[in-house]
Amino acid sequence: MELVHLRVRDFRNLASVDIAPGPRFNVISGHNGQGKTNLVEAVYVLGSVKTFRTQKNRELIRWDADRAVLEGLAHRGDDERLARIEVCGDRKEVYLGDLSVQRLADFFGTLNVVVFTPDDLSLVKGSPSERRRFLDRAIFNLRATYAGDAVGYDKILKQRNAMLKGERVDAVLLDVYDEQLALSGGRVASARHRFVEQFSARFAAAFGEIFGGLSATVTYESPWWDRSALPETPESAPRAGRILDRDDALVSSAQDALRAALARRRQEDMRRGQTSTGPHRDDLRVELESRSARTFASQGQQRALVLAMKIAEVEFFESERGFRPILLLDDVSSELDRARNRFLFDYLRAHDGQVFITTTHRDHILLEEDVVAYEVEAGNVRQVE
Amino acid sequence: MARDPIAELVNQLAKLPGIGEKTATRLAFHILGAPASYARDLAAAIIQVKERIVLCSRCCNLTEADPCIYCGSTRRDRSKICVVERPTDLRAVEATGEFRGLYHVLHGVLSPLEGIGPDDIKLRELITRLQDRDDGDPVDEVIVATNPSTDGETTALYVSRLLGPLGITVSRIASGIPMGGDLEYTDKATLGRALAHRRTI
Repeated sequence: MELVHLRVRDFRNLASVDIAPGPRFNVISGHNGQGKTNLVEAVYVLGSVKTFRTQKNRELIRWDADRAVLEGLAHRGDDERLARIEVCGDRKEVYLGDLSVQRLADFFGTLNVVVFTPDDLSLVKGSPSERRRFLDRAIFNLRATYAGDAVGYDKILKQRNAMLKGERVDAVLLDVYDEQLALSGGRVASARHRFVEQFSARFAAAFGEIFGGLSATVTYESPWWDRSALPETPESAPRAGRILDRDDALVSSAQDALRAALARRRQEDMRRGQTSTGPHRDDLRVELESRSARTFASQGQQRALVLAMKIAEVEFFESERGFRPILLLDDVSSELDRARNRFLFDYLRAHDGQVFITTTHRDHILLEEDVVAYEVEAGNVRQVE
Repeated sequence: MARDPIAELVNQLAKLPGIGEKTATRLAFHILGAPASYARDLAAAIIQVKERIVLCSRCCNLTEADPCIYCGSTRRDRSKICVVERPTDLRAVEATGEFRGLYHVLHGVLSPLEGIGPDDIKLRELITRLQDRDDGDPVDEVIVATNPSTDGETTALYVSRLLGPLGITVSRIASGIPMGGDLEYTDKATLGRALAHRRTI
């Protein structure tokens, strides 16, 4: 997948940008606060509608403008699509070509992006919610309808919690919420389980290459769901689209388990005024040499683990979807040590795909060929030799 | 306390749904520019609607006469009740001409986040109505036509659990592809649901 043209109007500090990015490496340099991250964020928003930074719409619009416009022409093989997002007031208007998109599920997949920012470096040692977000984003990139289940689960969870916090709990309504939570939560958890199961081998391989000699694993931690009785997924070669398959037995196992767990914890939930178990409390457990990486890995090892997670995410995406997503690396080199940085660039050179990289130090970017270079200064982007 | 009358009118109009400050101002100046009789008729119409429209004591629809035209009719199928969120939904169902039964208007959906529980919508009225089947209508089916939103689904399931013990069939309106629609352009969620709820032909 490739972004062949990008047009930006009044987005953050970028008044007007028109660029034709190169098919391989687009290196965006400039001092801090000039707008480098805003440029990669523009690409990210074109793919995901949401941003990876602050969620306030108003802040996306340049200070003296009413409306921000992002437009990208994306190529995938012979397929060409024009995506446009206009940010205005509290809303975002989404267009494909000239058509206004009413359901975001129809839009997602137009531009698939994977982003890697310094914030991601705390993925291993940060809170479980960051790791759940990593999982959800990665799965969503593979199967846009996953968002429907995840958002549905969240809405019902909020309603259930609001009732538990309230003065009166209606037992019948609680039954209804539990059933709805079990149905959507079971779909969410089984998708995550299946994703991690297939993702872990790629992750282990990527980490082995970065940090030879040590072994690393990831598992989906879901204390309410006993998966020991589940049949193992055969270790055949992964085929494209497998994660898209609905595994009915797996889904109903998760739904039954969640239904039972909610019933078991009902008294406690009523006392605490919140839902104490379910996919919203699950975690992605990262282990280094069979010990919790969160507790035992050094900072350097943790960063190498995160790098491996990101690379595995891209690889897995490619094997499932048959093409590489656009990779956005925001000022990552400055946070990696020299060996890890070299590994990252060796990896990028050895694999196809379009990459956007921002940096304050051009010499950290170990790329010489296939580079289109840009400089950003006070919101102006210009291509340089 | 003497507030500028124009500002006061703009302020009142802007409270209407879908009306912002700009539209409210435009409407206010339109009223100001129209003959005085128009302003009096408008004011009278607004007051009348509040004074003369009541809730039907059976179905909770908005009506001038109680019982309403549907509950009072002798030509409707009294064995079916269609449950809707709002009076405007009732109008939409009625406009199809497909349904000749009775209605029940809930005036909302369950949403604890907004402080709306079972006692805050017209659920008890529905139960009471169905419990009196010996004296009242011989209802054998309740069709729940709340919106296919998360809260609409919750409310539909809740109604079905409440009515289960009464031995009444509770059904849910189907959702799927619009008539004259195109599969290619149907969103994934709707198409997926239409497939899940397919029927034998």
